[in-house]
Amino acid sequence: MELDTEKIGDITVVKVLTDVLDASNTEEFKADIATIFEKSKKVLFEMNQVKFIDSSGCGVLLYCLRQLNSLGGTLKLYGLQESVRTLFDLVRMHRIIEVFNTKEEAIKSF
Amino acid sequence: MKESCFQSSIWFRLVRVKVRAVEEAKPLVLIVDDNPTNIDLLVNTLKNDYRLSVAKNGPKALDYAERYLPDLILLDIMMPGMNGYEACTRLKTTVQTKDIPVIFITAMSETEHKTRGFEVGAVDYITKPFHAAEVKARVRTHLSLKKARNHEIYIASKIQKTLLLGQPPRDIDRIKVAQLTIPSQQVDGDFYDFFKVSDKCFDLVVGDVMGKGIPAALLGAAIKSHFLRVLNELIRLTDKEKFPEPEKIVSSVHSGMIGHLNDLETFVTLCYARFDLVKYLLTYVDCGHMRTIHFQDSLNTFSLLQGDNMPIGFPGQGTFSQISVPFGPGDLFVFYSDGLTEIKNRNGNLYGEKRLVDFVNRNARIEPEKIIRNVWEDIIAFSKSDTFDDDITCVIVKIEKECSGRALSYESELEINSDLKELKKVRTFVREFCENLSESLIDNNRINLIELAVTEVTSNIIKHAYNKRSDNRIQINAKASNEKIVLLFYDWGKEFDSKSVPPPVFDGTQEGGFGLYIIAHTVNEVDYSRDDKGENCTCLKFNLTGGY
Repeated sequence: MELDTEKIGDITVVKVLTDVLDASNTEEFKADIATIFEKSKKVLFEMNQVKFIDSSGCGVLLYCLRQLNSLGGTLKLYGLQESVRTLFDLVRMHRIIEVFNTKEEAIKSF
Repeated sequence: MKESCFQSSIWFRLVRVKVRAVEEAKPLVLIVDDNPTNIDLLVNTLKNDYRLSVAKNGPKALDYAERYLPDLILLDIMMPGMNGYEACTRLKTTVQTKDIPVIFITAMSETEHKTRGFEVGAVDYITKPFHAAEVKARVRTHLSLKKARNHEIYIASKIQKTLLLGQPPRDIDRIKVAQLTIPSQQVDGDFYDFFKVSDKCFDLVVGDVMGKGIPAALLGAAIKSHFLRVLNELIRLTDKEKFPEPEKIVSSVHSGMIGHLNDLETFVTLCYARFDLVKYLLTYVDCGHMRTIHFQDSLNTFSLLQGDNMPIGFPGQGTFSQISVPFGPGDLFVFYSDGLTEIKNRNGNLYGEKRLVDFVNRNARIEPEKIIRNVWEDIIAFSKSDTFDDDITCVIVKIEKECSGRALSYESELEINSDLKELKKVRTFVREFCENLSESLIDNNRINLIELAVTEVTSNIIKHAYNKRSDNRIQINAKASNEKIVLLFYDWGKEFDSKSVPPPVFDGTQEGGFGLYIIAHTVNEVDYSRDDKGENCTCLKFNLTGGY
């Protein structure tokens, strides 16, 4: 899966370049993201491209958060599309993972 | 039971073969003692035959017991801090650990101590200094007893699931059926079944065998299958056009079973009811069963249906009589076993018919599935427990109101491989289907939610029903009218039990468990069914009028 990274200070911004994060590709996502977590503990996912997430997608995001938390780091997100936001509200993801509208706000919050 | 039915004994054997396959690992024994010498001795005695776990004090023992659920616990009485009696009392009051057999180890051989041990729930005791052979023998005995108990419970619940409970017909228009079944530790032979008479008529039989355990369960299964046999025979004997009357069916079952029932000194209460949706008439034969609740929508009132026949198996009853009552659209019928109304709360008060009737009245206008869920919550709130002494069965039949006469007007279908890579195809299919509907009926946000629901349903089928095998098929039918969208998913995999799925946790500690929650919160109705050929159907309904 395509994941572009950009380093801003000690924060790694990961551009999630897939339009879908569902049961069909969450395993792949999990495998690809592991190498990034080895290098950085503060991670910000850019979600602009993602049009659809299902329960497995939520599961993999929670997995990422837990991984980073256990390493003493954290995960934040920004740029959710409307459809993704609807799901986040439904399963109350926004209470667990910090979500921002813009990259600037997100970077500042770390 | 001996001569009652040959057929059931075959089932019994089939079920037993399966049990063996399930339990193969060595049993786990938890040793609780604060003395290292004793621990060594016990470990050496038991290590070849069992998996062992050791706790050196009471609190650790409770923690291990809850976490690893051992098959047996050897518990020392004299320990600093929490002693053995206290630890045992706690084990016996915790739902997960209450059935684990506890054997006390004690240096005190006075009767008083032994008695106290039994009082707090131990099954046996071993006195120190102990002999290896005695320890081995006692452990082995209690493990066999436990295994036998587990077998019985497993077989009974298997019998209940496979033999006692039938599937409602799902292709009769305007009928909605929902069932609640909570097996008790010892299944007691509640049963129900459905027989389709025509596209606009079906029969329901709900019954309860007097007695408990496997004998009652097998007898329930025998009676249920006897109904099928009688139906077949009567149809062959009579005019093909005319289905036998309920009173004739019940009389035939009675005469076929009375010998067996008398031999076993038991009887069966039941209600056999025919729903005729042409005449809008319910014809029932009540044989001493619980009174059926009939909620009448147009009058906003209820009546309790009762007959004057004796239970099946009572000698002297030759013929049975039926009673007919008219019903209307929106009406609701609630059939149930005495297990439901005889639930007791902590003060010993019964749940009772009145509370159930009041409850049904207040909930009669919602979907049957929801009524069932609410009943379940209400009995748990009442009894402050989710395990019960008797089986609880409740079957609700609702006559739906006509939806302004318009039939489903628009249809489409898709067949896919059971491969997660196909999820996108399913979403595209559903989106295109929805976009063909008028914009005034459905907006983009709603389509997003529908996409979400179908993704969850499809991946559940692939992951669970087909166990991730990608070479199976899933068929999806979509239908829409101005009132609703109905999506049907057909698969031929394992049966899905929605009640076996734990509720989701929203604090981030769990990654899974959201799928069903998402489905439940994006659709107006969801229904899982399986026909006798092993075809599963997941039915999602989305209302297009009246919001969501």
